[in-house]
Amino acid sequence: MKIFVCNNRFEDMMSAIYDAWSCALTCGHDNVFLTCGPVFQESILDEYVYAECDREKAVKVVRSVSKKMGEEALGFIKYASLSCDEGALDAIYRFMIRGFKIGHGITNALTEPAVVRLMELKRNVGNEAHYFREFVRFSSVDNQVYVSHIEPKNNVLELVGMHFADRMPSEHFIIVDDGRKLAIVHPKDSQNFFRYLTDEELNLLLKTDAVRDEYSSMWKTFFNSIAIRERENRKCQRNMLPLWMRKHMIEFMD
Amino acid sequence: MSELITGYTTQEKLEILSDAAKYDVACTSSGVDRKGKKGALGNSKACGICHSFAADGRCISLLKVLLTNHCVYDCKYCLNRRSNDVRRAAFEPDELCQLVVEFYKRNYIEGLFLSSGVMKSPAFTMEKMCEVLSLLRGKYQFNGYIHVKTIPGAPDELIAKAGYLADRMSVNLELPTAESLGKLAPNKNFKTILDPMEKISGTIAQHRLAVGKDARMERSTINRYLDNSIFHAKGQIETSANNLPVVSGNGTEQKNYLSVNGNDKKLHRPFAPAGQSTQMIIGASGESDLVLMRTTQKLYQNYDLKRVFFSAYVPINEDSALPALGTAPPLLREHRLYQADWLLRYYGFRTEELLSEQRPNFNEQLDPKCDWALRHLELFPVEVQKASYEMLLRIPGVGPKSAQRIVNSRRYGRIDFEHLKKMGVVLKRAHYFITCNGHMMYKTPIEENYITRQLVSVNGRENWQISHQNEQYHQMSLFEMG
Repeated sequence: MKIFVCNNRFEDMMSAIYDAWSCALTCGHDNVFLTCGPVFQESILDEYVYAECDREKAVKVVRSVSKKMGEEALGFIKYASLSCDEGALDAIYRFMIRGFKIGHGITNALTEPAVVRLMELKRNVGNEAHYFREFVRFSSVDNQVYVSHIEPKNNVLELVGMHFADRMPSEHFIIVDDGRKLAIVHPKDSQNFFRYLTDEELNLLLKTDAVRDEYSSMWKTFFNSIAIRERENRKCQRNMLPLWMRKHMIEFMD
Repeated sequence: MSELITGYTTQEKLEILSDAAKYDVACTSSGVDRKGKKGALGNSKACGICHSFAADGRCISLLKVLLTNHCVYDCKYCLNRRSNDVRRAAFEPDELCQLVVEFYKRNYIEGLFLSSGVMKSPAFTMEKMCEVLSLLRGKYQFNGYIHVKTIPGAPDELIAKAGYLADRMSVNLELPTAESLGKLAPNKNFKTILDPMEKISGTIAQHRLAVGKDARMERSTINRYLDNSIFHAKGQIETSANNLPVVSGNGTEQKNYLSVNGNDKKLHRPFAPAGQSTQMIIGASGESDLVLMRTTQKLYQNYDLKRVFFSAYVPINEDSALPALGTAPPLLREHRLYQADWLLRYYGFRTEELLSEQRPNFNEQLDPKCDWALRHLELFPVEVQKASYEMLLRIPGVGPKSAQRIVNSRRYGRIDFEHLKKMGVVLKRAHYFITCNGHMMYKTPIEENYITRQLVSVNGRENWQISHQNEQYHQMSLFEMG
């Protein structure tokens, strides 16, 4: 088995798929496997290939996917590439194998296990991104910039950031992915950009999680008074808003 | 409102006025897609966005408050009625706007839900509400979602103005028949509720035609293709022949749309793009589910409402005409009504199929769709590989999404039960009613009593939880005993 290892970025993944595919032409699709690094323990039975990011190869893959399978399938792949699932990259590869055979209807072919698998990955990412659109809380720092912290399982920061760039284009805001040490910065009336944070920057930003002001306390008041006591239903509340999501939500903090 | 300032802080006002608004149910932010723009604050998503869930498990999407809880009316079921001794407060328009904007920027809310007690007169109250909306859209450049309640009896121009500033409007029907309304809300009457409702729906239709859309609101993508659906043109004529309780008093043909005065003509906004909704209190008066569902269906057809909400009555006032204090709210009944409402809006069912004069109430033990299927066992089992989309939708355990997936995917291969599970079909309900490639999942007799017993035990746990949801048991601590 040849195992292709690459970085956890879309372009890298697409180049790895290109390399794996050209290798599979001689050894067969069943004898290649793809994964995002790092690999902590290499098995002695397999051969490991570390795929370099090559923009040209990535562009070729994306172009043929959108031509042969359509934009919807490409969208599925983009979402799945953000998944935290270890097998996500290989699932994308298996999806493409079926996709190049079936063509444009691929996203509807739910009797294909590879398609169902990709659908599940895509849905998982999409759902989590939507969760954060709903439950992200910003705190106002020095009345100038709005900062929020998230710790998503999948890499949904970019999707969440896009939503807020549309929602409040004329505010300064930062969304920090604490776990991945990654931030989206949105300067007023401008576009989002990514930033990999240094430890120093992250520590500074982590302090903003404790910021409280009159509005956060009024929000708590509202949150408590809007519930109907006669209908209390904590179980339903937990179903709709799981406990792990509440870590940075002001109404559930101290 | 200066004479009524009582020295409360904004926080206290928020506490009083959100507590007073909590029994209003329509807290959705759905129905309109609007992009954000530079210099303004906010956008809107048609799917709606919830921002939190309160202790009662209900979604918090909008800042749901009353402008004031001062009220000249004395509706028996209402917490804020004139004769109740409660703390009264009123927001200053600017104060409320700031609250909305600051909450919105922190992503606490998707917008504002503004209702109000009737202060002085309906016209005075509506004018104050319009002032808040104008400020929000103008001075604060707020581009998010606004849901505004119409005060029955307010002048047309003010209702029109509110409609051009808001995304969704609603007039509360409160009770499903004129008799109950007369009994429980002596200061309101059906005409002052239905009149604005009719005018709002007329104006929405007029506006939609003017911008080149269909006069009637878009319904869920699939429902418009279902022949039997209540929204389908053919169905409209049939029901209007029936003489149902609601909307019979409007004999005279009058101007059924609204227009704004002078300056307000420059608003350049669509009129209530997210449509109109209403709500009814259930359990406070003696109507059967059939009356409620007929009224609901009628409202969807005649007024093109986007949603009808039901609110289980929570006894808060002592009155001989009302259920006694301490009566548990009819939560399971409310749940059944919502299930039926979904069947009307998304599944192409009609009220007449679900209930009849002989069976005017929903089955407590079974959801309306299972109940319907059990009365029509002659149609089952259905072969998933071949059944029409309409028939798939009628199988218990199959929803619009999974039905769509079945139809889309079956041309690529044979579907088996494992696939159905992955597509989101709830097999524990569905397997009694379907075959895959000619086989049922288990060896099941298609026999009413047997399947009923099985389904009741599937539903039982869920039903128990809904009707006992607020009974919490926990270990008593030493401090509680004192």
